[in-house]
Parts: sequence; C-alpha cells; structure tokens
Amino acid sequence: MPGPYKRKKYHYGDTHLKKRWRTKRRKKDLDQINEDLKPEKAAELLDQEVDLDKPGDAQFYCLHCARYFIDEKAMKEHFRTKVHKRRLKALEAEPYTIEESERAAGHGSFVPAKKRKMETQKPIEGDDDMT
Amino acid sequence: MRIDTCYFCSSRVYPGHGIQFVRNDCKIFKFCRSKCHKAFKRKKNPRKVKWTKAYRKTVGKELAIDPSFEFERRRNIPMKYDREFWQKTVEAIKNIEEIKNKRQNTFIMQRLRKGRELETKRDIREVQRDLPLIRSPAAGLKDREKMEDSIVEVVHDSDQEMDGEDGSDSRMEVAAN
Repeated sequence: MPGPYKRKKYHYGDTHLKKRWRTKRRKKDLDQINEDLKPEKAAELLDQEVDLDKPGDAQFYCLHCARYFIDEKAMKEHFRTKVHKRRLKALEAEPYTIEESERAAGHGSFVPAKKRKMETQKPIEGDDDMT
Repeated sequence: MRIDTCYFCSSRVYPGHGIQFVRNDCKIFKFCRSKCHKAFKRKKNPRKVKWTKAYRKTVGKELAIDPSFEFERRRNIPMKYDREFWQKTVEAIKNIEEIKNKRQNTFIMQRLRKGRELETKRDIREVQRDLPLIRSPAAGLKDREKMEDSIVEVVHDSDQEMDGEDGSDSRMEVAAN
C-alpha cells in the first residue's frame, strides 16, 4: 500500500465512557442494589450519619441508583428523571447472579422468568429527621 | 481439576483460561474470554444478550427445567476414594448425559415443528390473498357473462312455474302450522 495508513481517530471523545467501564471505580451492580433494598439495609442507608466527604453529607441517598444528592430538591428532581425510572425498570426483574449463571450452564434447573412486583419509588421518609 | 462456568455466557472455563474479577464484596466472577469480561464491565445483562445460555433459556429456546439437570453440582467437600463407587458414578454420568442430550434435542425439535406448522399456514394464507397476481379475477369474464345471460333467459322461461311452486309451498306451510 502506498503511503502510511490513516491515523483513524474513531474513539475521540469517549474517555468518559471508558472511565465508566473500568473496574477501578466500579459502581454498584444490580444484585448489590437488590441486597440494599432489603428493609434493614435500606433503613440503614436512608438514615446515614453525617459524612462530610459525601455529597450532601450523605443525607440524601437514592437506593435504586446508589447515588448521593446535595439536597432534597436535587433528589426529588432525580426521581422524575429518565435515569431513575430506567433503573426502577431494570430492578423489576430479579438481578442476575453467579448462581443463575451456573443454573444456565446446566447445574440445576434454570427457572426462567423471575418476576417481581413493581418496585415503587422510595418514599421520602427521612426528610423529617434531616430538616 | 475443576471446570468453572463463565459468569456471562455460562460456558466452561478450563484451568489456565479466562480471567477472574473479584468484587469488593469478595464475590468471584469468572469469565471464559475477554468478550465476556468486556460485556460484564459494560454492565450488560446476560439475559438480554442473545449469545448467552441465560438468554437462550429465559426465552425458551432450550430446555430449562428438567430433573436431569439436578445431578451435576459443585461440591466443595472431597470424597474419600472408593473404587467401586467411582466406577458406578462414571457409568451413571454416561447414562445421565445420554438422557439429558436426548431430552434437550427433542425439546428443540418440538419447538421447531411448531414453527413449521405456522409457516405452512402463513404460506396458504398468502397464496389465497395474492392469487389475483397469478390469475386475474377478470380472466374469462366475457365467457362468464355469456353464461349468465343464457341462465337468465332460462330463468325467464321458468318464472311462471317457479311462482306456482312458491304459492304451493306457502300453502303447505300454512297447513303445517
């Protein structure tokens, strides 16, 4: 081939995506969030001690998205977003686990449709304590 | 030697192959190849990725629930060696494998059979709907008109007789009532 190859810049500007895919600062997986949704764990997470390193001193936490918000307004705004609704939808089905991967491989019966009742939005109960 | 299963595609992971990821809650995720590892890092859901076993079983493409799946299990306690027992288990493994394969194959064949039925139905419907493309509905129209004309003439001739018959019928009905 005459001349050098074109230096193709096909991945220009996707560093933010690549950073997200790295395991270094990996966000919580759906099965971890599923654990968090259990009542005892959820109560603990919703009523955290003041931590000055976290956004909003760790007082405004969305369970489903595993995210901290700076104030109540921001959290309420977030509940109306597409990101949050999408996450709720994803959590409707029981999350995929290592055990399920083994069942799919033929170690035990694979129970296919693990349906779960609609995951309602988290009620903002912690407000009274915070204000 | 332990053969692991891939977290993402549920295939076998032989020693010396693949990669492991240990999450910060000590759960070990094993992957058979970088394809699966990458998909995991992108938080893909294996149930929605078409080439995984989890997808094929959730969608009903393969046999998912069967007692023959209950034999193969991960065991963390070693067994004491016993020659007779060992021989028996090897025999049993062969039998189970055979039965399992047979059941899986029949499941797939039955699934495909249904598709073929639907296909024939669809073909028949298509032919009936699109028959005018092959044979025009106007084909032989003139002949038919001629035929109809001749029939009408015949009917005109026998009109009076028909009326008489009708009258008698009504009378008959009245009598029956």
